[in-house]
Amino acid sequence: MRSSPYSVMPARALRALVVLALTAGVTAAVPSARAETTTPPAAPAPVAAKPYMGWTSWTMQSSKYPGLNPKGDYSYLSEANVLKQTDAMAAKLKKYGYEYVNIDAGWWMDWSWKSQYDQYGRQKADPVRFPSGMKAVADRIHAKGLKAGIYLPVGLEKGAYGDGKTPIWNAEGCTTGDIVHADLRTTNGWDSAYKIDFSNPCAQKYIDSQAQMFADWGYDFLKLDGVGPGSFKTGDNYDNVPDVAAWQKAIDTAGRPIHLELSWSLDYGHVADWKKYSNGWRIDTDVECYCNTLVTWENSVDDRWDDAPAWTDHAGPGGWNDLDSLNVGNGEMDGLTKAERQSYATLWAIAKSPLFTGDDITKLDSYGLSLLTNREVIGINQSSAPPAEPVTASDPQQVWAAKNPDGTYTVALFNLADAPASVTANWQALGFKGKASVRDVWNKENLGNRTDKITQALPAHGSRLFTVTPRGTTLAWTAHEAEAGTLSGNASVADCSACSDGRKVGNLYTGGKVTVDDVVVAEAGTYMIKVSYVSGDARSILVSANGGGGTSHKFASTGDWGTVNSVYVPVKLKAGANTVTFDSGTGYAPDIDRIDVPKSL
Amino acid sequence: MDTRPSEPSRRTVLTTAGLTAALAALPVFKASAAPARPGEVPPPADRHQLWWQAPGDEGSLIEQGLPIGNGRIGALASNDPGRELLLITDATMWTGGLNDTLDQDGQFPYGRSDFGSFTLLAKLTVDIPDHDLGGVNGYRRTLDLAQGLVTSSYVRSGVTYRREMYASRPDDVIVLRFTQSGGGRHTGSITLTGTHGEHPTAAESFGATLPNGLRYGAAVKARGTGGKVTVNGTRIDFAGCKDLTVVITAGTNYAPDADSGFRDPALEPERLARTKVRAAAAESTDALRRTHVADYRALYGRLDLSLGTSTAEQRELDTWERLHARSRDPEPDPELEAAYLQFGRYLMICGSRDSLPVALQGLWLDGNDPDWMGDYHTDINIQMNYWMADRTGLSPCFDAFTDYCVAQLPSWNDLTRRLFNDPRNRYRNSSGKNAGWAVAFSTNPYGGSGWWWHPAGNAWLCTTLWEHYEYTGSREHLKKIYPLLKGACEFWEARLLTITLPGTSKEVLVDDKDWSPEHGPQDAKGITYAQEVVWMLFGNYCTAAAELGRDTDYADTIASLRRKLYLPQVSPTTGWLEEWMSPDNLGETTHRHLSPLINLFPGDRIRPDGSTPADLVAGATALLTARGMESFGWANAWRSLCWARLKNADNAYQLVVNNLRPSVDGSNGTAFNLFDIYEVERGRGIFQIDANFGTPAAMVEMLLYSRPGHIELLPALPDAWAASGHIRGVPARGGFEVDLRWRDGKPTEARIRSVGGRTTTIAYGEVSRTVTLRPGASVTLKDFSR
Repeated sequence: MRSSPYSVMPARALRALVVLALTAGVTAAVPSARAETTTPPAAPAPVAAKPYMGWTSWTMQSSKYPGLNPKGDYSYLSEANVLKQTDAMAAKLKKYGYEYVNIDAGWWMDWSWKSQYDQYGRQKADPVRFPSGMKAVADRIHAKGLKAGIYLPVGLEKGAYGDGKTPIWNAEGCTTGDIVHADLRTTNGWDSAYKIDFSNPCAQKYIDSQAQMFADWGYDFLKLDGVGPGSFKTGDNYDNVPDVAAWQKAIDTAGRPIHLELSWSLDYGHVADWKKYSNGWRIDTDVECYCNTLVTWENSVDDRWDDAPAWTDHAGPGGWNDLDSLNVGNGEMDGLTKAERQSYATLWAIAKSPLFTGDDITKLDSYGLSLLTNREVIGINQSSAPPAEPVTASDPQQVWAAKNPDGTYTVALFNLADAPASVTANWQALGFKGKASVRDVWNKENLGNRTDKITQALPAHGSRLFTVTPRGTTLAWTAHEAEAGTLSGNASVADCSACSDGRKVGNLYTGGKVTVDDVVVAEAGTYMIKVSYVSGDARSILVSANGGGGTSHKFASTGDWGTVNSVYVPVKLKAGANTVTFDSGTGYAPDIDRIDVPKSL
Repeated sequence: MDTRPSEPSRRTVLTTAGLTAALAALPVFKASAAPARPGEVPPPADRHQLWWQAPGDEGSLIEQGLPIGNGRIGALASNDPGRELLLITDATMWTGGLNDTLDQDGQFPYGRSDFGSFTLLAKLTVDIPDHDLGGVNGYRRTLDLAQGLVTSSYVRSGVTYRREMYASRPDDVIVLRFTQSGGGRHTGSITLTGTHGEHPTAAESFGATLPNGLRYGAAVKARGTGGKVTVNGTRIDFAGCKDLTVVITAGTNYAPDADSGFRDPALEPERLARTKVRAAAAESTDALRRTHVADYRALYGRLDLSLGTSTAEQRELDTWERLHARSRDPEPDPELEAAYLQFGRYLMICGSRDSLPVALQGLWLDGNDPDWMGDYHTDINIQMNYWMADRTGLSPCFDAFTDYCVAQLPSWNDLTRRLFNDPRNRYRNSSGKNAGWAVAFSTNPYGGSGWWWHPAGNAWLCTTLWEHYEYTGSREHLKKIYPLLKGACEFWEARLLTITLPGTSKEVLVDDKDWSPEHGPQDAKGITYAQEVVWMLFGNYCTAAAELGRDTDYADTIASLRRKLYLPQVSPTTGWLEEWMSPDNLGETTHRHLSPLINLFPGDRIRPDGSTPADLVAGATALLTARGMESFGWANAWRSLCWARLKNADNAYQLVVNNLRPSVDGSNGTAFNLFDIYEVERGRGIFQIDANFGTPAAMVEMLLYSRPGHIELLPALPDAWAASGHIRGVPARGGFEVDLRWRDGKPTEARIRSVGGRTTTIAYGEVSRTVTLRPGASVTLKDFSR
């Protein structure tokens, strides 16, 4: 568990609160804020106070599952299908908190994927796909007590440019030619748009015109797609931070709260921007497989276990780490085993990802319905507790946990291996020892007290979700700085402002080692040692005690080489003084900041 | 199945004529009288329980399934709460046939239809959808080595469910028992199917015929309490059952008789299977279990072993974690190591009784196409499988190997006569003479051979059979194997070449062009392996003829040949015992096979006790050292046995520890289910059972060395086991059994019991004494200080 307190209210959320306060004319207390601003007034139900819940059209659009897209690729998206899903969501899922019905790419394209624009270069609903128009659809969604979402790619779509003479709505003298660069450099994940030049004031006007159109239609949510850095793009042409900022500004003045969600594989290095200007960001590529099912485990549900941990600290009210759609409700069409479906739902819930399904809600099977509507699981996702993160190394068997405000822990066991395996959650990794009562959340069963740990057999790709209530005693820890240890091979001490004592041991590669001496414990046994480390990508390291054989553990990426994270690894120690060695072996290992060792078992 | 009447062949005429010989032709799968039902026996202490916290993956049962077997039928079980899967085998379920041709290069064909392959017989699933693993808690799975039971248990909605399974030899069935406490119910379905494209027609049995004419069949019967069990098309449904018992059996019409083409034409396996499951299902489940446990323990209980005490922390770990800890931590885990030995015994009891002997994978398969056909390899593997039987008190399990060789002999004779001197055979006798019998590197159960001819294979099979006689003193066994020994001698009498040793006038007998198993040149004369093993064979034969009072003249002939056999020397170039009658190293230094050391182990010619020239011991030691400490499981086991013979406890023990390493991604080592994994190529490991038998044999050899007339206590006791321990009921060559206790590295008590032997020396270190006992009598020795 990370020790930093979870009471962060990101700036963008506060800004949203201000907007609401002004428009609604109400005030409320603001939770204590870390800081960039101290603006006091607030309002209830700000945008993205909790991870949003809903449905997206894209998952079925992307699939080759027989019958889903009879009119060509992505043709699932139609007014009839959206309204059918709206009705089903209202009937089956709304009471559990699902509220957004999100129309994804293609609403302005015909069946052959040809785009249409209005006279101001704004996307225009395809009259065959959406015969009633986008406003009417939003009205129908609202009539069911739900919220409506819409979609755009970032940039000025090439088809909207015209010859550069297309006028911008409500912007005297501005044309599309004014808002792009003279060389018509392209942007976004598909290079399907011209990069907008925000040094020209007309550019903001164009964004304002789109935002106003959505607000007028009544949309509550916008997915801005292909955003860089991210969307598999880097470099100046793909820096869409100004676009995102412009969108937030436009939304602020459009007169309707609109949730702004960014896609896809957003660059971790710009997380501050995403937090500042949006309400959620996709941390990975599409979860869909673009195959004969909606998803498959390997392509690419399972990536999220590796990629989510680095982002954990950045999620909170106002903006969340988006793991993409949750497709666990349809059974065979999902493309997953039962165990995989549960693990998928478990990770999304505990990581506080938005919970939006891409399933056919009219055809949920009973198991899928139970996964999507488990109130305890939804409660974990929607609670004020922080997102869970791995407390063990990112090995095939791993444990994730979050400390809840009431002192309990949300603990998930995962077996990512292709065969059944047992997984153990050791209470030491939660900071205590002795007894704890355990509730099996999915199975809705109290398992009673467990001493020191719980072990469960998990199917291949399986999971367990527990609420653990400590009844034992808090552990006392001894800290050891890695840089005080004995270095060998290439290992060297490096400065690190985020590290304790400002230093860490780096250059642990091809034989580089650091041995921490004088690790004194009261009694022999297996200790969960908390390892604070820095690693810009996922790396493995051999951990051993007293010169014995090392066990290789994979440490998840901390996102960059300036961020410290920590995990617990089991090490067998003897009573008295021990040495603990971190050995890169033949590869490249993470930098080690320090270790904390329980004083006794 | 071809049912056309055929004209009586020479074969059938011979069978009818030779009614006395027909005794050997009884099918393996046969009707039997109701077994005796023993009373309740208290369960033994649970020191030798293996346990796990996860079920087996259906796609990886060879590494994760738990084996059961009654010596004839076996199964690997997943123990998954929601879906129990059993992959069922019968030792005789083989494709292929006599395979009496040679390819152009002189090899026997080695395909699944000509040579044949061991293959699965049936697959059984018991689906209980509500008990999906994702919805149960506290899952645990155990293999109770002391009782021969596989169990699994879990809690679902407050109810504890327990599942137990075993393969009973007395009832000749596999029994699955599903129970619960706390008001639970079992609802689901049972499906029994074949794995060879059979069309299911009934739920409770099926029968079919392989392309080679082997008939096979299987049957299942289920019985529940408190609910309903109904046959529904091709599956059996059960609903609301408090308890459920499922009884399965399977078999073939294989008969171990060359004259009948290895078939019993009258046997209908499906019908017999149905009869057997009906009879067993009529018994109470308690009676079935009691009968099985008593039968199993009668064998298992013959040897008791303690290598010391493990720590409380080690005991807390499940078996898979414990293997990891043993590989990671420097501390020995004596109870785990002893359990590994006992697991080998479990496999032997389950795998080798009343049917064919244990092949490369024993009785256990996870598919129809095992590597190397799951066959009998005659250049170490089958011999290693049976080194353990006598050494660990399982002499009755040895009989399957003996019976196999006896039943195959007529075909082996026939093929040798017809094909050994074939001009395509690179190892043919240049003398032009041909007699007796030989085998190839691979053999099947139909008298057939595969791959290259293996001239010295006959001698190695014989010396292995002979060793069983040395342990048991059984004249019945000696009579059975005598024709094999004699035929092998006749083969070598015809084959050996007389040469003059260079630089001398001394004439010696050497092996013709040959291949030191799988290593080096394929045209080397006088390879060490053959010289040594033929020397052993000739010696054994002379003793056998004398004991049985037969063939005195021929024994004299063989004795004189033996005196003329060239015996290998140490290379002046490498300092190693030569492998190819050449001073040069013509192969790979760290090659897996130790063929030139065959007279260090299993033979006794090379002894580190002063009776063997020191340079020979040094040469053998140097060769063994060069071979290294890292190889495949069976190769490590053989190395360990050799180091034990050289009284190097550290090396012998380290090789055992190396074999206990957890296998990861197919690497050499021990799998989740304790099967030994052989890394065929990077990332692909297969199960090969020889190390599961060879490693325990090495562990015993570290505690007790014996040869007729001589027993040594604790010849290579490693520090890891030195503190205290015992081995009770360990057989010694020469016809004795020993109960041995030790403390602080020294024996504290040794009880020697004669099982037919008369006189032997008992040695510990420099101390030696001679005891003479009547059969059945025993003596206890306590003072080893002088």
